Amino acid sequence: MENSFSFPSIHNFPPFYTLQPTQTTWQNQAALWSEIILAYYRHHKLYRLELFESLNSELFNFNNNQGIKRRLRLETLQAIIDTMVKRGTAEWESPPKKVSAIIYWRKPEEWANLINNWILETGMSNSIVTVYEIAHGESSEGFEFHGLDQTILMKALDILVKKGVAQIFQGTSTDDMGVKFFGING
Amino acid sequence: MGNKSSKITSQDRAILDLKVQRDKLKQYQKKLQIVAEKETQVAKEALLKNNKRGALLALKKKKYQEQLLSKSDAQLLNLEQLTQSIEFALVEKDVFAGLEQGNLILKEIHNETPIEKVEKLMEDTADAIAYQNEISEALSGKLTSEDEDEILAELAQIEKERLVDELPPVPMQAPVREDETENIEESISKQQEVKAKKSQKENRKLEAALETA
Repeated sequence: MENSFSFPSIHNFPPFYTLQPTQTTWQNQAALWSEIILAYYRHHKLYRLELFESLNSELFNFNNNQGIKRRLRLETLQAIIDTMVKRGTAEWESPPKKVSAIIYWRKPEEWANLINNWILETGMSNSIVTVYEIAHGESSEGFEFHGLDQTILMKALDILVKKGVAQIFQGTSTDDMGVKFFGING
Repeated sequence: MGNKSSKITSQDRAILDLKVQRDKLKQYQKKLQIVAEKETQVAKEALLKNNKRGALLALKKKKYQEQLLSKSDAQLLNLEQLTQSIEFALVEKDVFAGLEQGNLILKEIHNETPIEKVEKLMEDTADAIAYQNEISEALSGKLTSEDEDEILAELAQIEKERLVDELPPVPMQAPVREDETENIEESISKQQEVKAKKSQKENRKLEAALETA
């Protein structure tokens, strides 16, 4: 990873990796974990959490120089993400399977506003923008939603469509989606 | 423009097609660049292994990728120019539609105020003003002018009555008066004679009345 993420000290605290039996303690523990996950994902601009793969990453592992090793268990991580889903900061990708989740360090509504503001500020109202262009085009480079996950992007666009701010449509010859923004402040 | 319910037009779809092609071309270029870099790497590695033929092949491949890249650059430019031309034409169309609409409304407003109607209105206004003047006259001035004679006559009557009231007390010597009246009778016209006689008669009546009182 390029510039590395600095974990809070709690990340080095061995009991933090064990699901705490006391309800209130567990609630605090889950809240702290979800904070760390959101901060980490925001730092590295990540959107998807594949549970099996992630359990091997630095995020859910702790190795100190005294040889103490801790790793979050799958069930614990699932329970943490369940609490995040309740708060709207995560979403299981294909429930009831709990193997992959989308992490919303910005809620789809926030992404929607960022995208619509970008359209208004760059004078692209009433012109046609490809969905690819929003997340990967040169024109969105340097904006926070550049590189945004496709699923989240489509959710954000759906919000704009529901608000009557934009319309999603297909071309004549391709399945690729385009968006027409009407230049309305959502 | 800016219509919430505006539907996607066929032009919008055409523009989307062009922009999707642009995206694909850009992705293709990205791929070409990566492949070209890889071929360079392959050539270097082949040379290290003394595989001159392999290195040459890799460089040939790389050259070909680069040619494709520059060709696709030209295509990309074409696509973008065409897209921009269409977008500009659409803007022009909108501007024209805006002007047309403005012109239409101006005409509509003019239709609502035709010259004949305006002239008629001005005439009507003049008539109305004249009528108003008549009313004011009737209410203030004209009434007196019409009945002036009557009023003047009334005034004369009142004055006369007042004169009678203010007459000095009748002198006791009646004969002197008779002579005087006879003198006047000679100098004035017959009409006045009659009038004088009348007044004389009246005076006499008055005298009699006064005397009896």
